[in-house]
Amino acid sequence: MESAGAIREAKKGTAELVVLAFLDDEPRHGYELTQLIEARSGGALTFNFASLYATLYKLEERRWIQGRWVEKAGQRRRRYYRITPEGRAVLAAQRKEWSQFFELIRDLAGVEHA
Amino acid sequence: MRDRDMREWRSLIRQRADREWRELSPDVVEELACHLAELHATALARGASQAEARARALDALSAASFLEVSKRPRARHMPTGHVHDLRLAVRQLRASPLVSAVAILSLALGIGANTAIFSIVNSLLLRPLPVETPQQLVTLSEGSWTNPIWEQIRDRHELFDNACAWSETRFNLASGGETEFVDGIWASGSVFETLGVDAILGRTFTTVDDRRGGGPDGPVAVISYEFWQRRFGGAADVVGRTLKVERVPFTVIGVTPPDFFGPEVGRTFDVAIPIGTEPIIKGQGSWLDERSTWWLSIMARLKPDQSLDAANAALRAAQPAIRDATAPGWNNYITEPFTLAPAATNKSALRRHYERPLIVVLSITALVLLIACANIANLLLARATARRHEFSVRRALGASRWRLARQLVAESTVLSTAGAAAGIVVARWGSQFLVRQISTTDHRVFLDLSLDTRVLVFTIAVTIATTLLFGVVPALRVAASEPMDAIKEHGRNLAARRGGLSGSLVVAQVALSLVLVVAASLFTRTFTSLTNLDAGFDRERVLVVSVNAERAQIDRSARLPVFERVLERVQRLPGVVEAGLSMITPTSGQGWNGDVDVSNTPRLEGRQARTFRNAITPRWFATLGMRLVAGRAFTDSDRKGAPPVVIVNQAFVRRFLDGQDPIGHTVQRRVIFNRNRPDAVPPPAQEIVGVVADAIYDNLREQVPPTMFEPLDQSEMSVVPQLALTTRTAGSPMADVRSIASAIRDVNADLAITFRPLADYVNASVARERIVAMLAGFFGGLALLMASLGLFGLTSYTVERRRPEIGIRMALGAAPAGVIRLVLSGTAGLVAVGIIVGSTLSLWAARFVGALLYQVEARDPLTLVGAAAALAATAATAAALPAYRASRIDPSTVLRESQA
Repeated sequence: MESAGAIREAKKGTAELVVLAFLDDEPRHGYELTQLIEARSGGALTFNFASLYATLYKLEERRWIQGRWVEKAGQRRRRYYRITPEGRAVLAAQRKEWSQFFELIRDLAGVEHA
Repeated sequence: MRDRDMREWRSLIRQRADREWRELSPDVVEELACHLAELHATALARGASQAEARARALDALSAASFLEVSKRPRARHMPTGHVHDLRLAVRQLRASPLVSAVAILSLALGIGANTAIFSIVNSLLLRPLPVETPQQLVTLSEGSWTNPIWEQIRDRHELFDNACAWSETRFNLASGGETEFVDGIWASGSVFETLGVDAILGRTFTTVDDRRGGGPDGPVAVISYEFWQRRFGGAADVVGRTLKVERVPFTVIGVTPPDFFGPEVGRTFDVAIPIGTEPIIKGQGSWLDERSTWWLSIMARLKPDQSLDAANAALRAAQPAIRDATAPGWNNYITEPFTLAPAATNKSALRRHYERPLIVVLSITALVLLIACANIANLLLARATARRHEFSVRRALGASRWRLARQLVAESTVLSTAGAAAGIVVARWGSQFLVRQISTTDHRVFLDLSLDTRVLVFTIAVTIATTLLFGVVPALRVAASEPMDAIKEHGRNLAARRGGLSGSLVVAQVALSLVLVVAASLFTRTFTSLTNLDAGFDRERVLVVSVNAERAQIDRSARLPVFERVLERVQRLPGVVEAGLSMITPTSGQGWNGDVDVSNTPRLEGRQARTFRNAITPRWFATLGMRLVAGRAFTDSDRKGAPPVVIVNQAFVRRFLDGQDPIGHTVQRRVIFNRNRPDAVPPPAQEIVGVVADAIYDNLREQVPPTMFEPLDQSEMSVVPQLALTTRTAGSPMADVRSIASAIRDVNADLAITFRPLADYVNASVARERIVAMLAGFFGGLALLMASLGLFGLTSYTVERRRPEIGIRMALGAAPAGVIRLVLSGTAGLVAVGIIVGSTLSLWAARFVGALLYQVEARDPLTLVGAAAALAATAATAAALPAYRASRIDPSTVLRESQA
């Protein structure tokens, strides 16, 4: 219970980071993102779809990502998000901050980074 | 399949957002719907059943909160938030069906009444004739013209591009016995060419068909589309068929287009026949060469570059020649210069008669709509106040003032649109009903009431104005609310302000209602004065039978004996109490007059010397219940050869005899000087043998004119083809129609007969007053009802708002009676202000209705006081229930509530 609570709290702060990170490789659509996050975290990290989109819109508003409707043959219409150069810079900065933070925690609390 | 799924997901998302009071941009809805669709599809692909897959998507949806996504700025290119507003508005209105129904109903009545009256105004006063370039048409005003004058104008081709003449009448299509009348017109051969109307079947007639006695094709007739459908069932082979008009066979040669109703607004025709065929029908009584029978209307089409002034000048230049050609040497004969007026604005009789009443009624309906607006504004204001909590929370959550105001305007728009839609239905029905009311038995009023652009624009404008009137105030009020206002202060400030505004609305309502109630009672009193007026004759159980011998092949001199035989037969019938013949029937619209001198009295000049006349048989006074006040009645010996006698009415005695005893004086009719007949012998003087009490001659509203009656057999009217056989019946006047008809047929089967109760003539003569009284009464009642609803709402609301205060007062010992007084005094104050404002308005508006009233002053104090009393009583009733409820408030409950 304790740990689930800690993760839930952490999730809020990390959602933006996670989304940016997943978009770093290639443009993805919202549904794909939820699937990826769920799969990679082994189900420990899930977003309600409305909050995921809220995050996407917030990032888009800050111009860190950019969405675009794409219609491919034989597929339904989807909105793909790609990371912008500005977003990439933010991601790099955040990654750096988070790793400094984890090192600090490891030193202080003896938590091992996986 | 996929599309349908998407539609469903979109709709689920929207519903969900609505429930949360969130507004999602279409872009966002689309994306979320895509997401749910993917979720659903993936689940299916992984082997879930339809139901499971759907449940999974729905779970995701129900766990979602749209708070965050809704903040996303709307896609700029899609301002569809309005659709959302409207959807919300519809739901709001459905949430309180009673309030919405009352609002929509009052709007439907308000907008409907305005549209109905306006569509009549439109077709009667505004819409041009449905003919080619109507602005080039001019009419020869004022009044009617003789055929000789028309022929002179017709033959002067240089005057206009084209000219035509017509006369509206009724044609009897029955072959014998009881008549079967249709609306007809005598028309010159040029009428269709001048108006630019083509036949849709066959051909229209031309000047060739208009030759005297008929053209090469014999007597021909053109029928209207409506008559073609009604009488011939739209038969394609109607052209060439025979139609018996006044028992003369006419060949149908064509059908006019559906929207063509003839040359005059307010009338329509079934059958048109050329003026030239008139002698075939009227025989010796033909009017074609009559120089003093004025029966034709004349219209001309200006040449393309001819101005109205130029046409007038040309026609006036020809006037002396026309005068000499038609009636040389006559005095006072077409001396007024001819005047042409644009046909588009020319006032038909119907226009003149109804122009002012229509404008008054349109003002009344506008007031009704205003009252309805005030009522709805109050309802919406009350609802907006009830929703202040919701609004301030939404403000706190970031909704802009504009956003909230727009929401309320959307609600008003939905209300007024629904009201307008229902109003158009009301208008269609109402305007047709009104036109039926204007029509009388022998004068069918026809107005083209189809919805045209002008009426639609009017309705839309009224609807928009209405929306603004009742929707803007609540919207502004809400827009002014601060976030958390309601939560912090329980919205008491807002409520107090609302109370003041509602108060002014109620004052306005009371004031306008008072104006309407005053108008209603003025018009109702006018109508009842007219109907209860002692006409001087008894209209109940009197049947008027018009007997027409025109087509009966009876020589002129033998007509009266036939009529007298008819009278004799009818008098013997068991159901008939009295019977008499007359030339004129009172209030029938017919008139006959002449200038006279009375022996041993000063000569009167001009119109003063004029008296109305009638020719009657001895029992006619008794049949109508007219009282003889001096001298004797006519007897069977007052016939041709016996000394000429007359009976005069009291008005005649007042005008001509100035206090002298009239019996024994003689009446000398004046002869119009005629240069062609200088030796014309003046008619013999007639001795006054009796005086009859005053009775209405034609118009109930006018003073009884001087009238003299002469025995039919001594009168020059003994040769006319049509007389009125008036019968007093034992039972209902129409009960003996059959026996009377068969008695007349026994005398001569070729006589044409028409039955109509005398009361019907009298009622028809006050049709205008009846319709105005009816409308004013209806709308006055409606105004009272709406004002009382408004007062009831306001008082209930005030009581609710003052519950804590009233509770405390009662806890401190206030008696229930005191509480009732407290509540009522607030309402009474508003009503008093309303009545004062309303009285002032009524006094001001009085100037516009004076001409329409009879035996009641427009500023009649009694009416004003009565109306104010009625309004005050209604207001007291409306406020009584809430006041009573206030007195039943339990102080302990209220005190507990306010502690909580």
